[in-house]
Amino acid sequence: MKKTILSLALVLATGLLFAQKKTTTSAIINFDATTSIDKLPKAENKTVIASLDTRTGKVAFEATVKSFTFSNPRIQDHFNNAGWMDSEKFPTASFTGSIVNLKDVKFDKDGVYSVSVKGELTMHGVTKPVETKAIVTVSGKSIKTAADFSVKLEDYGVNGPAIGAGKVAKEPSITVLAEFN
Amino acid sequence: MLTKKITKGYKKWLIILFVSLLAAAAVVWYLFTLKYDDTATVKADYTVNAADFIKEFRQDMKAANTKYSEKIIVVNGTVSAIEAADTTMNIKMIDTAQNGAYIIFAFQQQHLAEAKAMKEGDKVSIKGSCSNGAFSNILETEYITFKRCAVNTEK
Repeated sequence: MKKTILSLALVLATGLLFAQKKTTTSAIINFDATTSIDKLPKAENKTVIASLDTRTGKVAFEATVKSFTFSNPRIQDHFNNAGWMDSEKFPTASFTGSIVNLKDVKFDKDGVYSVSVKGELTMHGVTKPVETKAIVTVSGKSIKTAADFSVKLEDYGVNGPAIGAGKVAKEPSITVLAEFN
Repeated sequence: MLTKKITKGYKKWLIILFVSLLAAAAVVWYLFTLKYDDTATVKADYTVNAADFIKEFRQDMKAANTKYSEKIIVVNGTVSAIEAADTTMNIKMIDTAQNGAYIIFAFQQQHLAEAKAMKEGDKVSIKGSCSNGAFSNILETEYITFKRCAVNTEK
């Protein structure tokens, strides 16, 4: 009986020790929709929530749309208004997915690993599949992740006149950076 | 006589066109170079205590967002965590008594040194633009984000 309890305790302790869902509330998303005629539609959100489960490879992030900061107040207003991201109606954007080649990443060994991430991005109330390459950097207890991808605004129902006029890129690039400690 | 009249009229329209073009260029230049003011110099719309502020959002998220979103707010509270975000720092006030709900402050570039000087447990007064409150499915708690923050020096 004692042995059974001890074994159960060990299993539980091991599970807790290796409970691998790491989170941060300070991930960064850079959004770049600049074009040759307008360099202003570029923003950064530094308060993104992100998670990484090193056991299952599940990754996720949530971003408040109004937290994207532009240098120009007018562009920020445009970004949030109904003609673009409509942040009143759709206050957050999110991603849930998984690292496809999880077996290639050794989270207990320092190194830089190339991974492929597959999942679903929800933006402007529309959910679409996304697949991208990402880099995972393991250094001691720190795990840094970086991913670059682009999205077609049209796919997410974003069709403002500025896009048609070439002032906003039709496929802005998005960079997601997260550090888990 | 007639030629003089035509020349005079032509000149008048040329001046109007020139002034209009100048005005349009000035408006475009103004709009394109518009920047946010330094938050430290902007008058706050509200001054709140962190725990009460979180409570207000948890009780009615929609009403709180309507009231506070995009407003300049001074939040008084205790620093619970300092999180590095690339080359910047975010300050967090967490309310463990309210399901770990938290407020997070991203600082304006010119005020980053103020955030870097803060330590956990410090009682601080931060002024910033309240973005929004929301529920996190990842953390399973409520959170409120601030942007363009600075240490509040107003009394």
